[in-house]
Amino acid sequence: MDKVATVDPTDLQQEALSAAAEARTLAALNEVRIHYLGRSSALKLALRNVRDRETGMTLNAVRETVEAALTAREEELARAELEERLVTERVDVTLPAQLLGPPKLRPRGTLHPSTLVRRDVEDIFLGLGYEIVDGREVETTRYNFDALGFPDWHPARSPRASLFLDDHTVLRTETSPAQIHKMEERRPPIYMVSIGRVYRRDTIDATHFPIFHQFEGLAIDEGITLADLKGTLLHVMRELYGPDREMRFRTHYFPFTEPSMEPDVSCFNCGGAGCPICKHSGWIEMGGSGVVDPYLYEFVGWGPEEYTGFAFGMGIERTAQLRYGIAGIRPFWENDLRFLRQFR
Amino acid sequence: MRIPLSWLREYVRVDATTQEIAEALSVSTAEVNGVHRAGVTGELGLFRVGHVLEATKHPDADRLQLTSVDVGEDRPYSIVCGAWNFGAGAKVAVALPGATLPNGLVLERRKLRGELSEGMILAEDELDLGTDHTGIIVLDDALEPGTPLAEVLPLVDEVLDLDPTGNRPDLFAVYGVAREVAALLGGELAPMPGEDPEREGDEPVGIGIEDPEGCLRFIGRVFRDVTMGESPLWLKGRLRNAGVRSISNVVDVTNYVMLALGSPLHAYDLDLLRGGLVARRANEGEKLRTLDGAERTLSVEDLVIADGKRAVGLAGIMGGEETEVSASTKNVLLEAANFEPVGILRSSEHHALRTEGSNRWEKGVDPYVAGQAATYATQLIVELSGARWTGAEDVRANLPKPAVIRLRPERASAVIGLEVPAQEQAEILGRVGFERLQSGFRVPTWRARDVTREVDLIEEVARFKLPEVPFTLPRRQAMFGRLTRPQRLRRLAEDALLGAGYAEVYTPSFVADGDLRLPEPLSAEAAALRTVLYASLLEPARRNADAGEENVALFEVARVYRASGGDLPVERWHLAGIADGGFAEAKWAVEQVYSALGIEPTYERTSEAFLHPGKAARTAEGWLGELHPTVLDGTWSAFELDLDALAEAAPQVAAFEPVSPYPEVRQDLAFVVDEEVSAAELLAAIREAAGELLRELEVFDEYRGEQIGEGKRSLAFRLAFGSPEGTLTDEDVAPVRASIVDALATRFGAVLRA
Repeated sequence: MDKVATVDPTDLQQEALSAAAEARTLAALNEVRIHYLGRSSALKLALRNVRDRETGMTLNAVRETVEAALTAREEELARAELEERLVTERVDVTLPAQLLGPPKLRPRGTLHPSTLVRRDVEDIFLGLGYEIVDGREVETTRYNFDALGFPDWHPARSPRASLFLDDHTVLRTETSPAQIHKMEERRPPIYMVSIGRVYRRDTIDATHFPIFHQFEGLAIDEGITLADLKGTLLHVMRELYGPDREMRFRTHYFPFTEPSMEPDVSCFNCGGAGCPICKHSGWIEMGGSGVVDPYLYEFVGWGPEEYTGFAFGMGIERTAQLRYGIAGIRPFWENDLRFLRQFR
Repeated sequence: MRIPLSWLREYVRVDATTQEIAEALSVSTAEVNGVHRAGVTGELGLFRVGHVLEATKHPDADRLQLTSVDVGEDRPYSIVCGAWNFGAGAKVAVALPGATLPNGLVLERRKLRGELSEGMILAEDELDLGTDHTGIIVLDDALEPGTPLAEVLPLVDEVLDLDPTGNRPDLFAVYGVAREVAALLGGELAPMPGEDPEREGDEPVGIGIEDPEGCLRFIGRVFRDVTMGESPLWLKGRLRNAGVRSISNVVDVTNYVMLALGSPLHAYDLDLLRGGLVARRANEGEKLRTLDGAERTLSVEDLVIADGKRAVGLAGIMGGEETEVSASTKNVLLEAANFEPVGILRSSEHHALRTEGSNRWEKGVDPYVAGQAATYATQLIVELSGARWTGAEDVRANLPKPAVIRLRPERASAVIGLEVPAQEQAEILGRVGFERLQSGFRVPTWRARDVTREVDLIEEVARFKLPEVPFTLPRRQAMFGRLTRPQRLRRLAEDALLGAGYAEVYTPSFVADGDLRLPEPLSAEAAALRTVLYASLLEPARRNADAGEENVALFEVARVYRASGGDLPVERWHLAGIADGGFAEAKWAVEQVYSALGIEPTYERTSEAFLHPGKAARTAEGWLGELHPTVLDGTWSAFELDLDALAEAAPQVAAFEPVSPYPEVRQDLAFVVDEEVSAAELLAAIREAAGELLRELEVFDEYRGEQIGEGKRSLAFRLAFGSPEGTLTDEDVAPVRASIVDALATRFGAVLRA
């Protein structure tokens, strides 16, 4: 009982904290813990014999402080011991994998369905004599909007619709800026498809994600016609969706084409009779297209009638959804192997 | 834009079914989202005019009437009814058992408080013609009982759901769509509706335009002795089918005329206005409580309609609450104006207030149509409210003059790729309102914003000929048709990883933090562009492992972004992977990639906070290693390579040497070295010492054991020597071997194992 009476909480705390700091191993730290917080420690004995509220509170505060210091030191030591152990596990990183492992034997991997579609689209257009252009993803508003004839009031210019880095820099909202760069780089004939990520400020839900992939074509040459646009897309759609597909074109409006049209493909599922995939219309909407607006030629410094051309744009994910019957956009970004492994 | 077909057909007489109209519009004019039936969905014959023969109180219910109704059958029907605003002799709207009400209720013959009820006497809300349930609809006494109700009331209509593009404000009006239908299908277009009634007086209105840029035209008309009330059922039915709520006769007229002609209008309670109306910029900080009850703080960016004291409306977007017409309104001031689109769009966005009105103004409404809208509204207000029209003013800023554009028919044919005769082109343009003059075509006022150049006229021709345009391919003078080198190599790298068992993933380009921040992030986790790929793979790896996958190996090919100091960040293609298992997994994958690209990499030990300190390496193009156990639970390895750098490092053409006809001499050499000496260092030294006779070299075994000694290991190498000049003998090779052993001993203290 005498011993209890002599405990000075401040000294005890100081002593315990120093001991914790000095412990060099987890084992040593454990000794410290037993000594200062164990069942027969001075602190525990003192706590057991507390008579007044104030002393009890003081001693408990000491206990908590020491507890916290021990825990922190324990993490530090554990981390140090881990690092030490890791260093001893050192391997010769220059050795071939076969001598290091050997590596696991894994079944062949798979490409993402969007990549499968992307490669297909690339191959179809390579066959048509087009070049494939990746383009940059971060663009100036000059190339993303001005060059493409987006009027000042166009909603896409708003930060509510597009992702800006600053007033003049935007994550491309379509892959078309790459087409303007190509036009500035050289004179026609130009036959190109730009493919890649594009960005919109969309709230994520079953059918929207702020990133998706487009393929956009541009053909500029002497004597290109709207009929050539129809013929080219018919070929591409038949390559993608089967040789029996028919197409129709509906008038639309886009800033950089005039006339502008939305291409529809006859439903590959029902053949036009009407089903849920084509929303019972017999036709599936594919994207946008049109005859290049002469404004673009003037933008890059060409005469308005030296050339004519056509342009079109479609979605990679949408193509994959249609081709594989994938519902919604989420599976494309969830990266669930049970989904991905099916695309062989 | 919902277009009730009965309304459309009032303006255009055309021999075409609804389906044909929808089809033609969708190909040549605007997207048709669908055609649906509004109002009564079931059998229409079950809705009849009824003649109430008797009406008495229900014996067991004070609030119910028992009626006997002649519905044109051979016997009267007994119907129990809860309304009391009619009695015997009234002509009423009846739905018979089996009828389906617009709300989906199917009527049955059933007992109500013990009395048989065979159908229902209808109130407005039961036919979806209004919200009024206070009394049943009392019809004209002259009607014969049994008359189909559809002949008397707007029970049902087909509604075309049209989605016009922003460049066609004229299509946000039933009349505008009628004009297209007439042009497309050869119908006869009626003149625009509306004729001014006689004006009973000439009192001043006091209209002014202070901001002629924002307000091009302002028509004000005064009506006295207005009897406010409900709209007639035909009007309620039309509005319902067009998706607009009925409010009161005067307000309904403004909405009806807007839907008919596309020019929005507004009605003010004249007695609540202080002086005339002027269109002006708002004062900074000026307050206005709009009709939706919200108090709005305005700025000079906003255009307002103001009376002598204050703003009474956010021009073109929404009127003010204080001056709105109400049941007690006696006198009305009608506004028909024209507002400039961009200002309306900005204001509407700024106040997050989109209305039927703003939706039209922001697309650019024809200022010339405001006059007809005022006329039509005047006619209807006088007809429906019994008001006297007593004052009119029409203030105009400079209305744009219609442009005249030249069209070369041969140019149109050349762009379209279809020979369209000049005469036919002129006819097509004529049908949509382009007047042919000596110098070209005069653009109709309702298309002035959209049609400004020859190519716009060509589009008009093209959209009418779309189905006839053939499918052709360009006649090519030059071909490209090849992937670029980086694109080919990217595919090779991807395919190499497939071989190593990796599945490709797509992860977002955004991360929580980085130099390239979005000022308005998508979320806390998507606030900056990523500078590395591997970090995005941790989450999918963990999630797949958690789902019980026992073979998780993922890769991604995508861009990373780094601030460049210039206008735009630097973008590089990267290739990253992650796999369950130790260092060998990453090493194997990286070896496969390098091998596929024909690059001989140099591996060096490296250290990164996120990598295992003893199992991390870098190459000239990236890094690989086992992940530090604190990064991800379990043993994982990862790698990330700069694909653009790999493409530069890859050889353009394979280096080839003729195959030697002479056999090679093979030798295996094993050396004991200190742990610190890497296999790569030994390989390099052997290669250097061996000189040009060395054909092949690889390390094929690593061994540690007691006889080797603590801190040491043995590495075994397989060497092959050869010469294009002849077969080598052991004597030829011996000095080479000696110099290798010597070099390794000198440089690394390596001891050859016997």
